[in-house]
Amino acid sequence: MWKYISKRLLIAIPTIILISFAIFFIIQLPEGDYISSYISRMTSEGERFTEADIQALRAQYGLDKPWYAQYFVWMVNIVTKGDFGYSFAYSRPVWSVIMDRLPLTIIVSLTIMIFTYAVSIPIGIYSALHQYSVGDYIFTAIGFLGMAIPNFLLAIILMYTSFKWTGDPLIGLFSTDMLQNGIHFYNIGEFLKHMIIPTIVIGTSGTCKVIRTVRAQMLDESVKQYTLTARAKGVSERVITYKYCLRAALNPVVSGLASSLSSIFSGSTISAIVMNLAIQGPVLYDALKVQDMYLAGTILLVQAILIIIGTLISDIVLAALDPRIRLAERGA
Amino acid sequence: MALFKKKEKNNEDYYLASQWTLMGRKLVKHRLARISMFILGFLYISALFANFIAPYNLTAYDSKYMNLQPTKVHMFHEGNFEGPFVYGIDVERDAKTKQKIYVENDEVYKVQFFVKGSEYKLLGLFKTDRHLFGVEEGGKIFLFGADSMGRDLFSRMFLGSQISLTIPFVGASISFILGLLLGGISGYFGGMVDNVIQRVIEVLSSLPTIPLWMALSAAIPANISVVKVYLYITIILSFISWTGLARVVRGKFISLRNEDFVMAAKLAGVTDFKIILKHLVPGFLGYLIVNVTLEIPSMIIGETSMSFLGLGIRSPATSWGVLLEETKTITSIATYPWRLIPLFAVILTVLAFNFLGDGLRDAADPYK
Amino acid sequence: MKERETVIEVKDLKVNIKIDDGVLTAVRGVDFCIYKGETLGLVGESGCGKSLTSKAILGINTNNCTASGEIIFDTTAGGKKDLLKLNPRGKEIRDIRGKQISMIFQEPMVAFSPMYTIGSQINECTRLHITKDKGKSKELSLAMMKKVGIANAEKRYDQYPHEFSGGMLQRALIAMALVCNPKMLIADEPTTALDVTIQAQILELMQELQKEMGMAILFITHDLGTVAKMCERVAVMYLGKIVEVATADELYANPRHPYTKGLMGSVHKIGAKKTERLFSIEGTVPLALNLPPGCGFYERCHERIEGVCNVREPELTDIGGGKLEHQISCFACMNPSCEEKKEDPVHG
Repeated sequence: MWKYISKRLLIAIPTIILISFAIFFIIQLPEGDYISSYISRMTSEGERFTEADIQALRAQYGLDKPWYAQYFVWMVNIVTKGDFGYSFAYSRPVWSVIMDRLPLTIIVSLTIMIFTYAVSIPIGIYSALHQYSVGDYIFTAIGFLGMAIPNFLLAIILMYTSFKWTGDPLIGLFSTDMLQNGIHFYNIGEFLKHMIIPTIVIGTSGTCKVIRTVRAQMLDESVKQYTLTARAKGVSERVITYKYCLRAALNPVVSGLASSLSSIFSGSTISAIVMNLAIQGPVLYDALKVQDMYLAGTILLVQAILIIIGTLISDIVLAALDPRIRLAERGA
Repeated sequence: MALFKKKEKNNEDYYLASQWTLMGRKLVKHRLARISMFILGFLYISALFANFIAPYNLTAYDSKYMNLQPTKVHMFHEGNFEGPFVYGIDVERDAKTKQKIYVENDEVYKVQFFVKGSEYKLLGLFKTDRHLFGVEEGGKIFLFGADSMGRDLFSRMFLGSQISLTIPFVGASISFILGLLLGGISGYFGGMVDNVIQRVIEVLSSLPTIPLWMALSAAIPANISVVKVYLYITIILSFISWTGLARVVRGKFISLRNEDFVMAAKLAGVTDFKIILKHLVPGFLGYLIVNVTLEIPSMIIGETSMSFLGLGIRSPATSWGVLLEETKTITSIATYPWRLIPLFAVILTVLAFNFLGDGLRDAADPYK
Repeated sequence: MKERETVIEVKDLKVNIKIDDGVLTAVRGVDFCIYKGETLGLVGESGCGKSLTSKAILGINTNNCTASGEIIFDTTAGGKKDLLKLNPRGKEIRDIRGKQISMIFQEPMVAFSPMYTIGSQINECTRLHITKDKGKSKELSLAMMKKVGIANAEKRYDQYPHEFSGGMLQRALIAMALVCNPKMLIADEPTTALDVTIQAQILELMQELQKEMGMAILFITHDLGTVAKMCERVAVMYLGKIVEVATADELYANPRHPYTKGLMGSVHKIGAKKTERLFSIEGTVPLALNLPPGCGFYERCHERIEGVCNVREPELTDIGGGKLEHQISCFACMNPSCEEKKEDPVHG
């Protein structure tokens, strides 16, 4: 087991390096760089720059070198000093900008993930056991709708609805007095209230996918030979469903853990922009628009690393769940 | 439904029917899939003839009527049946809020069919200026209301569907080809090739989709033609989704390449390429088609999202995502709720593709 | 010696399956009984309804099947009970399954859940029916594993199904079925998926265990060779009905029903000439949907009587001189003259 884990960790390292390379390449693809967008903004406000000024600015920020050199410098700094670069837009080291929001991003993402699985697995089982019943159709319909509506629009509709009904549009993650008086434990209630819409918005498409997967898998498993054997032994239906079918059905669900995390990061990015949530999304968007490349690059890198960690965790859980995989790894 | 007459099913007929006939028969039986096929057919045909259906073209605007609510079509004027017509619009100011409000007056403008309007190329081939309907000179017919520049939402929706419906299709096709090719090579040859392709897939799937799209879209140069933007966006969308398909294809190839019939073909002297094409692929083609059909909805949402953020299609072209950009704020929806209409088009299309995909999957499953 | 004790009596069993196009009566009225300690063979082609019949006894057919008729089983504690009247999800039938009537299946490779060890799955049976004590029940399971010939049983106990070979798994399946000492074992094609040498071993094992433990066996197969080895009496099934019942010796010596004769003729015999073609009954088994009136075998029968066989359906009638040792369901072959007329299906 430990061999398996350490092998995966080892492989993860070159993957991360490749990813950082790809990210950096993509980030610097747009024409120009931070300086050019800065200059165009300043120029439209009436400022004037000379060639020398521009050169000096570029040199100051290290933007006069070719991009692979910049990448190399960036990487070296990360590995040796833990320095992720400098954010031009915020005039602060990138890491401090990210740390402003990273804890919250992780909390929000984890909350949504827990909600997703806690809700969808039972619904999936119910749907499978009561196939074609009214309940099954209703859940399927809700599921489809959830997947079909782009989440940012769902966000707007829900905010509008909540505004009309309760007078409180629940914008942002914290109420105004929380922001003023600081965040304490007794504020959890407020926080959760504000989390309702983001959770529904961001979690819905993931939930629907998991429900459909669980339902399909349970249906598949419930007609397999071993359920017949168990039944012929005198095992009760309930035990067959939960002990045997569910364990096998969870296989693809667990595999999808990492992609679920990925879609949460995705969905939260846009939704955060619309709903003004204090997480990574809006920061990334702005950074991309002005080509604040170290900031944008680091945000993407952090998300990618979190997803790789998620993949590793899901692989471990999968091996724990399914003995066939454990054996395959041992033999491999 | 006379096209699908129930033939007397002879036992032999059933046993000898080809895989595709069987799939087709099953698909048609699936009610939701049937309805979806009709809906999608309708949507795509109307996209094809969008220029004809839309009374106004992309560049028409009239700032006098910005944010106009949907025009009501009346039949009776002062008690007399006049046929479909609209009233003229007067602009007034609300006494309290000082906002512009639009009020109908009594000028009657008849709705006409096959009117002459702006010129365009039907199906990209024939120059014509006929439109399905319009109103007499002086009147405006904004069936879905107008946007902040006074442009007709109805027209822009149909014209926008041309982009919103085709990008996902083209993108999914590219994904399909890439996924099939790379997944097949990876699965069939194994070894170093497989390793490299797998690493690439891993790298691409570790990046969350929308942030990646955002980053790539930000890289699209500012002043290029609409066609080029279209191409770029399609490529960006298919850039990641081929990985999912490739994984599936690879899995199938790995499990199939050790089957005896592949060995038999090899011994008979069939080339590798032919083995892949003629022996392996037909086995899971059905499954692949299902996968691709289900990719399309996520691409629709992808394009919509990108355009919503201002990173996708740019004017003068329009898509449903661009139309929805105007709904970014609560006040916008509260005051001009008709702007949400494109949302229903998106939902309808996505649902239709999903149901069709489900129907295809059920039809392709030999064990049901 | 007629008054043998029966373990189970099946009377007029019908099984209907609901399908898209209607209702398929897959089992159309089956009668048989099994005596204590005997092995009854149930023979027939794929699709004739053998599995459905056997599963109906335990009530484990899928939800779209409904069974009618009577299945009278002599339970250990409660006397004779009609199993069809018991709720298939209820406690009573679960008490019988695995403990009084057990079943083993065709494909041992998929009969166990891949997620749990073999030992724990066998153990589940003892813990359900015999004792809740973990230690004692493990002992019982281990003992049974050794009895069925699984070498190194302690180590094997903690291994997973995918670590066993096909033959081993079938032994484990047999162990699981017999660990609670049932009165009757239903073996649904237990050796079909195994290779010939393993087949022989498994069959011998089953015979030994039967001698030792005294249970009755309902042995379902389409392989006439194994029937000859294993069974005392044999029932031949076609299209949802039993067409002939006899002792094994009788059946092989004097098959009377045209279908049975065809089956016997299609088995290759040692000593037959190399150039003789194997006989096969012409036509295919029809779908049991919208069957025409009369005997199910009418279309394919060489000895059919028009006007009789396609009008009424024959019933199982005794032809063994009242000894209930040989019954067939046929109009054409009731009288012994049928035997002279016996067309040699191979040379005739």
